[in-house]
Amino acid sequence: MITINWGLLAPIIIIQLILLVVALIDLVKIEKTNGPKWLWAIIIIVVNIIGPVLYFVIGRRNH
Amino acid sequence: MSQWLTLFQKELLEMWRNFKWIWVPITFILLGVQEPLSSHFMPQIINSLGGLPDGAVIKIPPPSAQEVLIKGLSQYTSIGVLIIVLTTMGLLSGERKSGVAAMILVKPVSYESYVTSKWVGAMLLMWGSFLIGYLATWYYTGILFKWVPISDFFASYFYYGLWLTLALTVTISLSAMFLTSGMAGFLSLAIVILMNVVTSSLSNWMEWSPAQITTYANKLLLTGKIPDSLFPSSLLALVCTIIFLLVGIFVFKRKELASS
Repeated sequence: MITINWGLLAPIIIIQLILLVVALIDLVKIEKTNGPKWLWAIIIIVVNIIGPVLYFVIGRRNH
Repeated sequence: MSQWLTLFQKELLEMWRNFKWIWVPITFILLGVQEPLSSHFMPQIINSLGGLPDGAVIKIPPPSAQEVLIKGLSQYTSIGVLIIVLTTMGLLSGERKSGVAAMILVKPVSYESYVTSKWVGAMLLMWGSFLIGYLATWYYTGILFKWVPISDFFASYFYYGLWLTLALTVTISLSAMFLTSGMAGFLSLAIVILMNVVTSSLSNWMEWSPAQITTYANKLLLTGKIPDSLFPSSLLALVCTIIFLLVGIFVFKRKELASS
């Protein structure tokens, strides 16, 4: 049995969620992304941590 | 000075609008914190996967707190550098390409303050995110392993920060040289990796190389003593940073501002 120490893991899960939500809010607000929007929505939601980071680095090109 | 402050404020505002102040620190926290967590829970993870036959005993000696911190730091010099390069490579080249730079620089704004305001903004983001992320790593290591003295924490933070500063400045400098940010990012990564490879393969002759700072900082963490070559190599890193910054400003002045 694994005993999960929620006091330790909860903050990490919360900041992961913040990252995900911020990326999604930005995706909704932004006019154009680098590539189709729906694809970025899937990437942000499905790929944990790396998805939102990829979106911020590659997806949002504000020219 | 007030002009520089205005540019600097514009830079900070832009970083808020890009959400850089949110996602870069969070990424740095997640990068570092996974080390103490995965090292601590490794026996349980192996158990839960259940791949071991009965009677097989694997004894993994639990790593010391310092070793865990060093592992966390190595995340910052690999993936952390990648994130720094990716977020700063477009700072100058992107603005020049989109014409924003030309719009700003037709006003009586000096090139120096334009470039340095961007540099200071990027530095603030990097040092801040690194502090938050590394502090979280230190805290988790303290809870799950042993507490590393806070003075050692800040010493290693400072020296690793110097190395990250150099990487960041190289990126800004190259961003001033190339119109395409991808080119600038690729070349700065190549330079950083090359510095690392050359230094580690010729480590006997390159005691003062800035790429050695991280090795010395690790030694400082492990032994608590300051290695002799730490100060020369840090000084050299500082000098290289200033040179790269000056070269960046110089090149930016001479380049045509309007693209195509």
